[in-house]
Amino acid sequence: MSKLKTNTIQHTGGSADNITLDNSQNVTAEGNLTVDGNLTVSGTSTISGYNPTSSRNNRNLIINGAMQVAQRGTSSTSNGYKTIDRWYWECNGADETATISQEDVSLGTSPYNLPVGSGHPYAHGFRKCLQVLNGNQTGGAGVSDAIDLVYAVEAQDLAQSGWDYTSSSSYITFSFWIKSSVAQNFYGYIRSQDGTSKDYAYETGSLTQHTWTKITKSIPGDSGLTINTDNGKGIAITILPFMGTGSTNNSKSLNSWANIDNAARTPDNTTTWWTTNDATFQITGVQLEVGSVATDFEHRSYGDELQRCLRYCQRHAGVNGSRVAIGVIGDSTTGYASFPTKVPMRATPSISVTEAGKIVKEGSAWYDLTSLTIGTSTNDVAVLTCVVSGGHNMSALDPFTMGDSTDFTLNSEL
Amino acid sequence: MTIKKAKFVDYMGNHASITITDTNDNVIGVPFDPANTDYQEYLEWVAAGNTAEAAD
Repeated sequence: MSKLKTNTIQHTGGSADNITLDNSQNVTAEGNLTVDGNLTVSGTSTISGYNPTSSRNNRNLIINGAMQVAQRGTSSTSNGYKTIDRWYWECNGADETATISQEDVSLGTSPYNLPVGSGHPYAHGFRKCLQVLNGNQTGGAGVSDAIDLVYAVEAQDLAQSGWDYTSSSSYITFSFWIKSSVAQNFYGYIRSQDGTSKDYAYETGSLTQHTWTKITKSIPGDSGLTINTDNGKGIAITILPFMGTGSTNNSKSLNSWANIDNAARTPDNTTTWWTTNDATFQITGVQLEVGSVATDFEHRSYGDELQRCLRYCQRHAGVNGSRVAIGVIGDSTTGYASFPTKVPMRATPSISVTEAGKIVKEGSAWYDLTSLTIGTSTNDVAVLTCVVSGGHNMSALDPFTMGDSTDFTLNSEL
Repeated sequence: MTIKKAKFVDYMGNHASITITDTNDNVIGVPFDPANTDYQEYLEWVAAGNTAEAAD
């Protein structure tokens, strides 16, 4: 074995040393050091020029991208914010409506026998996904038929993310896992909301049936983009299981910003998934981050994700006998109770009621509420307007509690 | 949401909020907050020529 003994190594065309060695086994790379493989450090690492891109906390601008939190429920056939928090959906023009649900990211077991390796989100720590189960679209693909999955990013979060969104050399990167029971290409688009709205259409590329695939899209800024520093909608990210030709056109260019054209949001969609009865479409691990590279998904605890979701939705499901809010009776049928929200919400919330509950006059009586709605409220105190039928012993200025099995949702989604 | 009807909710003789019923008969209470997206949809419904019912 031969041994090279030298103190420095210098490129033949260079004027300074590239590598220096001392007699204590130390090696110094004088310029940049590129490691194509793994770098193993047995001792302590001291990195003064540390690039925090891939380890920065809070880099994922998507809340609940791992589909963990579902305050409203886990399955629905109605349009709107119905199941997984922060995810809006619509199914339009269906002969048999589709179903949105929260599902388990299951191991690759029969009948699909998927390998659980680097190509499966289960191996990356995902346990929940958003699923759309198609209905039976006996009429085929109509021009107005569509299923949209939409995530809206609050404008001030994007404006202050560090993305120089008016610069074509500054990027955000959008990534997600997707699986379809039908092998095909899918489209989607990102739409800015402030100023002159613009769309950025993208595609997943051809997916293999029943096989999870990670999609990554690096998106440059554009001089025409406007993103306000407010609590409105900044951008809306749409993922499309299907959209009919009334809203699509093959003239639409992919991977570039353009002024919106609602008749050409994406190129024409392949109809196979839509016309396949009980086809499934699943996504999870959705991440939007500043920079041109998709880093590993930023996993957050259930509690952390729930706290973030509460800015947009808070469900309160009481139990038999519970007291939820304290109020004062206004007249013979109406009382007003203050309900401090769990965290300040994005805006003054709307209220939807699953079960109204009761007015409780402690030590006296419990009266069924005939309606429960919201009064003059703020984003951190909801005034619950509690109405009972007449004929009860309700006297103005009497205190009461409201509750029992009351079940309501405060909503300030985008 | 497609609004079917809307009705004011009053407090002390003033409008305090609106109750909106959609075409699927879902009912939601909506505050007068321009940042609330349900209120934004209500304003679009009014701009289209519709009127909320008076409070009880």
